[in-house]
Amino acid sequence: MLRRTALATSALLIGALLLTSCTGGNTASAPTGDVDPDATLTVGLSLEPSNLDIRHTSGAALEQALVDNVYQGLVTRNGDDDNAIVPALATEWTISPDGLTYTFTLREGVTFHDGTAMTADDVVTSLQTAKDDATIQNSADLANVASIASPDASTVVLTLAQPNIDFLFTLSGRAGLVFKNADTTNFQTAANGTGPFTVASRNTGQSLTLARYDGYWGDKAGVAEVVLDYIPDRSAAVNAAVSGDLDVALEVDPELQSQVEGTGNFTIDTGLTTDKATLAFNNQRAPLTDQRVREALRLAIDHDALVETVIAAQTLNGPIPPLDPGYEDLTGSVSYNPDRARDLLAQAGAENLELTLTIPNVYPTSIPTFLVSSFADVGVTLKVESVDFSTWLQDVYTNHDYDLSFVRHVEARDFGNWANPTYYFGYDNATVQSLYAQAQATTDEQQSSDLLAEAARIVDDEDAADWLLLATPRTAVGTNVANFPKNSLNVRLPLAGVTVSSE
Amino acid sequence: MIRYALTRLGLLLLGLAVASALIFLSLRVLPGDVAQLIAGTQSTPEQVAALRESLGLDVPLWTQYLDWIGGLLRGDLGTSLVTGESVAAELLDKARVTVPLAVMSLTVALLIGIPLGVLSALGRRTAGGTALSVASQALAAVPVVWAGMLLVVVFAVWLGWLPPQGFPRAGWNDPGAAFRALVLPALTIGVVEGAMLLRFVRSATLQALGQDYVRTAAAKGLTRTRALVRHGLPNVGLSVITVLGLQIAGIIVGAVVIEQLFTLPGVGRMLVADVAARDLPKVQGELLALTGFVLLVGFVVDLVHRLIDPRQREAS
Repeated sequence: MLRRTALATSALLIGALLLTSCTGGNTASAPTGDVDPDATLTVGLSLEPSNLDIRHTSGAALEQALVDNVYQGLVTRNGDDDNAIVPALATEWTISPDGLTYTFTLREGVTFHDGTAMTADDVVTSLQTAKDDATIQNSADLANVASIASPDASTVVLTLAQPNIDFLFTLSGRAGLVFKNADTTNFQTAANGTGPFTVASRNTGQSLTLARYDGYWGDKAGVAEVVLDYIPDRSAAVNAAVSGDLDVALEVDPELQSQVEGTGNFTIDTGLTTDKATLAFNNQRAPLTDQRVREALRLAIDHDALVETVIAAQTLNGPIPPLDPGYEDLTGSVSYNPDRARDLLAQAGAENLELTLTIPNVYPTSIPTFLVSSFADVGVTLKVESVDFSTWLQDVYTNHDYDLSFVRHVEARDFGNWANPTYYFGYDNATVQSLYAQAQATTDEQQSSDLLAEAARIVDDEDAADWLLLATPRTAVGTNVANFPKNSLNVRLPLAGVTVSSE
Repeated sequence: MIRYALTRLGLLLLGLAVASALIFLSLRVLPGDVAQLIAGTQSTPEQVAALRESLGLDVPLWTQYLDWIGGLLRGDLGTSLVTGESVAAELLDKARVTVPLAVMSLTVALLIGIPLGVLSALGRRTAGGTALSVASQALAAVPVVWAGMLLVVVFAVWLGWLPPQGFPRAGWNDPGAAFRALVLPALTIGVVEGAMLLRFVRSATLQALGQDYVRTAAAKGLTRTRALVRHGLPNVGLSVITVLGLQIAGIIVGAVVIEQLFTLPGVGRMLVADVAARDLPKVQGELLALTGFVLLVGFVVDLVHRLIDPRQREAS
């Protein structure tokens, strides 16, 4: 009697499960067929922007979602072609021989999402505001601009105080985005740009939906709708892909990659990034002021083994990644040598050293765990302090109160941090600063990149930090999806050209 | 009775007042602030300071606290520093996920805890009863996260019956999908909470079985089961109502974890994101609302207890 009741209860529970499972099924994506212009592209990614205010709010997540898709500048960059500068709201430009005057021809027929036509005045005002208002992200990028003017309705002329080889690249970033003059849009919750997609809706804690903008000046977007599905948990993201909820999953956990591949519905792309996993040494704090100690720490790390642990990565032996100018392969500048590390520590009188590693808790624990055992092997006790990002910003970034720090520096062309002694690295080398300034001021690209390479070699020789690895994230792209971009997707995700096929 | 209710209400309000001060102060101890996060890693200290001023973070703490309390008294829970949206509106929006999740979890917990608890007490000398007891002991000790991952692997990944994560974009406009999205999370919380409830019901039932009135009823000719159902269970019910207050608090804590795991856009996930963004006005509004809810549950439990227990009714 009792047993029967118990059985009945469990039967009820299982029945409830069965019932709920009958109301819908997975729609597994079909192999490539006809392109469906009405399709929705669902992309799974991890980091959600806290609001939509791209002018004022920092963070790669916002740039990833909105730049190129919703907002545009005069120029943009093509991540899949070595970050080459390509036209956007300007059709062409000329640079004066002295490198000081940039003359842009504006594209005709550009409208904002509210229907207003873009004018030269919008461009001038946007850039002038970005330059003058220090609360605008990357405002300092335009500090070198002496004047912004529009001689006629289809031309904008920017004059620089000094030549700057990176200027077009700068304009492809946030500071160069074009907004409507005196726009009353509430930018924290809505958007009004010129890009191929409008922001259709935002469900915080869940997703951001973009819709094709039919008034777009160029080729209309290949899909009617894009859903950016924010899934912070890596295994949940893989489960979502496996069960057919996603067309594309970014930064797939490489250990779970085979599950996604096993469905037969996805191919795995590996993309390059400028995402440098940087183990920063506080160059201003003893004993890290002693180069022997810094070198010893680097020699204690077996980079090849680390890359094997992390999987979606390759070694990076210097401060400049392959996608940036000035890159050269510095393999061999430090190679794993724990004996030499111990010698160096002994010479420096730093045996039984205790150091603290401050690391934001958003990163997986595999890297700090690897470092703890590597350092223990050469007699350095590493204490890992896992903090939230806000705490890291305060303690490490602002107050420089740390021994070692680990963060992923995702930005492209950020070598300038090594030429800035007030940056949290605390690295102060006059030669590097001078080389960097020269590299910026020249108008010759080859010369500039040679100068950067020379500066990078010095930073590497002086062991200012260790570049543990370069992230090469895995993207699971549905077999029904075509033209999905590959590189630097953690900072830019241009989706206008992507198409989805139906059965 | 009315005096009793008023006293309880007074305690509830006092509790809220104390909680508001604790919440406000403890959040100010957190390192880092929203201005720094908004400005990011490309900003100068001057820019951060300017932003701090424009967000009103530079005014003295007690002014900020009084402003907040003043707003609360006018029925204004505050405004997010990051999105500029009203905290109350965002809470209501997210409650559409969390409240159904809590109700479903509670239902699962009750469906598991009460019948199986009584059965396990009645059959405590049989193999089935012992098995139940051991199983509940084990389940009650399982971390919610682990239970959730296990359920996902079985019911979503292997069997494909239910979605492994997420909530439909259309929300409750697509009631079938919304319900399905909540089944696994609710089972996860419900099974663990239910196992705890089971153990509680079991011991309450065992206690009731040993009471004189059950023995007397049995002596009058009722079977032991009927004696328990007629005379013992109402007493078990009373203790269950008391423990339910605690269980509801447990379910809310469980929801914070589970919403992360299942990517559900509910109050818990919002809370975690807002703490990370250091959106303190929003966090304190959310925490106060949650505290108020838990206190309210306690208040209702006290009243219900008083209403249905004749012994307490007569005492007053």
